[in-house]
Amino acid sequence: MERKIPEFGRFAEPSLLILVSLSDGPKHGYAIMQDVEHGTGRPMGAGTLYAALARLEEQGLIEPLQPVDRRRPYRLTAVGASNLAEQLRGLSEFAQMGLRQLGKTSP
Amino acid sequence: MRSFLIRCYPARWRARYGDEFEAILEERPLGPFDVADILLGALDAQLRLRGHGVDTQHARSFTMSLRIGGIAAIVGASLIVIVIALTGGRTEGSDNAVTIALLLSLAALLVGLTGMSAFQARSNPWLVWTAFAVTAVGTVAIFIAGLGDLTGAGPRDWRDGPLPIGAVTAALGSAAFGIATYRGSVLSRKGALSLVIGPAVGLVGAIAVSQNLWELGMLLVVVGIVSFLAGWFTLGVAAIRLDRTSAFKPA
Repeated sequence: MERKIPEFGRFAEPSLLILVSLSDGPKHGYAIMQDVEHGTGRPMGAGTLYAALARLEEQGLIEPLQPVDRRRPYRLTAVGASNLAEQLRGLSEFAQMGLRQLGKTSP
Repeated sequence: MRSFLIRCYPARWRARYGDEFEAILEERPLGPFDVADILLGALDAQLRLRGHGVDTQHARSFTMSLRIGGIAAIVGASLIVIVIALTGGRTEGSDNAVTIALLLSLAALLVGLTGMSAFQARSNPWLVWTAFAVTAVGTVAIFIAGLGDLTGAGPRDWRDGPLPIGAVTAALGSAAFGIATYRGSVLSRKGALSLVIGPAVGLVGAIAVSQNLWELGMLLVVVGIVSFLAGWFTLGVAAIRLDRTSAFKPA
């Protein structure tokens, strides 16, 4: 059955970045922020991070684990992993289409 | 500063995320970007917990539409019962209260049809639009006829006045909506079937009456009206109950 990509509004990009960050294992909030900043070269604010985390948790795409001290790790759920794969495939097809079109018009 | 920023979030949010969020804020110094980002995040959390978040709007408006449609259908059917009670089964004469009740009942059925048509409009758009247009035409016709009746400019007899117009349009519009709803099979199929059977049986009854088969004809007309009203009541209740199921609530 086709699974629809949830709508995250202005948190669509942070949500995708968080899902990618969690794809190699559970991480707590600060580790996700560092990972995203390292990967994209752009900082992610704590407000944005937690707005996106709350949505992802509501959608069942990630789940919280037991906190260590006050840091609570999150991990991808099976639904979250399949959703991420779907989003990345869509982005990849879009990128390939763009590159093809650019190749046709490039001098 | 950190304490103030965390307090900007709603209490329910703080109970769930407060500790870990505070731990993150302690990890590094806050700049203007961070403060603005946290204030926007707090605003977002406040709006979301009040049901104004962008991703809850669709579900909210959808359930509201079902609820209003269901209530309007029940009100419309109840008003038709009042019309029948007021006329006492008479098909001649005139009464301002009946004209107004009839107009309100058709308007309510129109609202009910609109509110409950979200599912059917996807699969049977033409049927739903036909049902809406016929009922709307009837409502406007009754409004015009009713105005004439109320001001004394129109016919002073039900047989030439709004009653037959209202009966025919409500029957045709409801039957079309019943077929669309039966095909959609999300709302009550029994209710949808009643809505189709009622007008058909009523029409056969009216033909029988015109052929001087009075007793059989009136029996069929009564059965048709009961079936028609039962259909609207059943669909109205089904829409309200569907609205209350968790499947359509915002996450």
